[in-house]
Amino acid sequence: MTRQLFGRLAGLLGVLAALTLAVFVIKAVLPADPVRASIGARATEAQVKAKRAELGYDKPIVVQYVTFVGDVVTLDLGDSLRTRRPVTTDIGKFLPATAELALAAAVLAGIGGVGLGIVSARGGKLASITRLAMLAFASAPTFCLALLAILLFYRRLGWLPSSGRITRSLAPPERTRFVLVDTLLAGDLKAFWDAVEHLVLPALCLAIGPAVAIGRVLRGSLLDVLRQDHTRTARSKGLSRRAVLTRHALRNALGPTLSMTGLQLGLLLSGVVVVELVFAWPGLGLYTTQAIQNADFPAVIGIVLVMGTAYVVINAIVDIAQVIADPRLQTSEAR
Amino acid sequence: MAIELRLPESGVPRRWSLGRREAPRRAFHRLGRLGRIDQVGLALIVAITLLLLVVPLVAPHASLDNVGATLTPPGKGGFLLGTDEQSRDVLSRVLYGMRVTWFAAFLVIASGILIGGVVGLAAGMSGKWVDALLMRITDVFLALPGPLLALAVVSALGASLRNTLFAVMIVWWPFYARIVRGEVRSIMSRPHVEAARMGGVGRVRLATRHVLPGTIGPVLVTASLDIGALILTLAGLSFLGLGSPAPAAELGAMSARGLTYLLTKWWVPLMPALGVFLLVFVANVAGDAVRDLAEA
Repeated sequence: MTRQLFGRLAGLLGVLAALTLAVFVIKAVLPADPVRASIGARATEAQVKAKRAELGYDKPIVVQYVTFVGDVVTLDLGDSLRTRRPVTTDIGKFLPATAELALAAAVLAGIGGVGLGIVSARGGKLASITRLAMLAFASAPTFCLALLAILLFYRRLGWLPSSGRITRSLAPPERTRFVLVDTLLAGDLKAFWDAVEHLVLPALCLAIGPAVAIGRVLRGSLLDVLRQDHTRTARSKGLSRRAVLTRHALRNALGPTLSMTGLQLGLLLSGVVVVELVFAWPGLGLYTTQAIQNADFPAVIGIVLVMGTAYVVINAIVDIAQVIADPRLQTSEAR
Repeated sequence: MAIELRLPESGVPRRWSLGRREAPRRAFHRLGRLGRIDQVGLALIVAITLLLLVVPLVAPHASLDNVGATLTPPGKGGFLLGTDEQSRDVLSRVLYGMRVTWFAAFLVIASGILIGGVVGLAAGMSGKWVDALLMRITDVFLALPGPLLALAVVSALGASLRNTLFAVMIVWWPFYARIVRGEVRSIMSRPHVEAARMGGVGRVRLATRHVLPGTIGPVLVTASLDIGALILTLAGLSFLGLGSPAPAAELGAMSARGLTYLLTKWWVPLMPALGVFLLVFVANVAGDAVRDLAEA
């Protein structure tokens, strides 16, 4: 198994190298001149030439790539054209908000997905209704869900706030930049509850798509497992349908669901951009939208690298978790 | 099946009558065996495609015309879905936007099938190191986050519908390459391919006449299940401002630009979003139907 783990880790490094290569190629085909962009259009030929040499754009392409990888590894992603700060600083500033939102959504998606999968696999009227609802939710773009959620829970019912992370007057002193943690550290329960209320709608909108996808896969594999002999044996021993489903079938059906979960958590990262825009959530997604609108290319590249790395690493972790959780995968790979 | 055994009366070789004339009839028989939801789904996808084809004839107004008061609510003044902040008819704009998205999605799927098909066919038919190399590349593409890369490509090239489609095409083929390659490998080991080889059939003819036709079914099923996800991706990119620039009728962009009116004039951002929902819903129901049709 150790050999297998090392194999997966090597694969992970390969994919990360491919990610930097892809981003480098995108940078290279960029029609705008990065040298001109950084020193302005009125610079003289000599200044441009000097800057070009300084930034290393006069070197062979292979050298440029190696330099680029070096910069990425040392977290030097250049300066944002809009905020004039290093992209890494900006990303560090906005990342906690996004991480908080994405984690909450991931938890909701996991719980919701397993729930939907079980309910829709049980049969009966409730299952049919659930399946129809899942089909509808799977067809709605994230921004459509977000708009509907705001109209219903904020405008009509007035239950939940529709923008930001916390009511401004309640904002806690910044320590971890995770608002939920900061409010607790400050011992301010009222602010904590306010932050939770702000988190509910965006996290829910972000979680629905992945939850439905996970639920669909789980339903499929549950139905497969329920047709197998060992579940029939369990039933004929006199166990109830529910006990068979939760104790005997669910654990066997989790394998494919787990890999779907990894994939969906990755996709959640691209949904986060849309959700943050609608809910004015001050995280990486909102930063991305502003970067796109201002043609702030260094920032976009930095975000793609960070989010891409997160996506690849999450999938690798899920992959490894699966090997550890399911002994059958080890033997089949060892052949 | 009785149809397969009946000999053609005209004396045409049986292979022809099965391939060219009986196949549609068999498909028709299968249609009858599908469930009601599947039949409705297939009917809907045909209906919506026809409707969107003739949008310029049926839309009440042009997508950019100022037609009356600004921000008229739905149903008032003869505007079924109301008007937007520049007094344009929302219904017409949503219809035009759906038309662009729908056919753009078909275009990207077609390119995905084409690129993935060529890669998969080359890998599956040559085997050995060509196969290993091409599939490694495909795996790497599959492991990278497609929508994010597309986002980077569009922001590098500049926002326009053409650039968005180009960017999505770049990331939308690896899945098809995998499927085609798998099918090709399994078809290559069947007796009819061996027979064709023995008969001295060349590589190109072997590929186009004996191997490729067998991959069409699985690829079509995959594609029909894929359209919904693709439309969601295109709409998301457009929502972020990576699509046609300002006045163009594009669903995601219309919804994003209408965000400021959400709490007062909800129809401006919501109607385009519901347009996307309608397209994806029809595509998903029809996708399930095509899968059932293939399995029936």
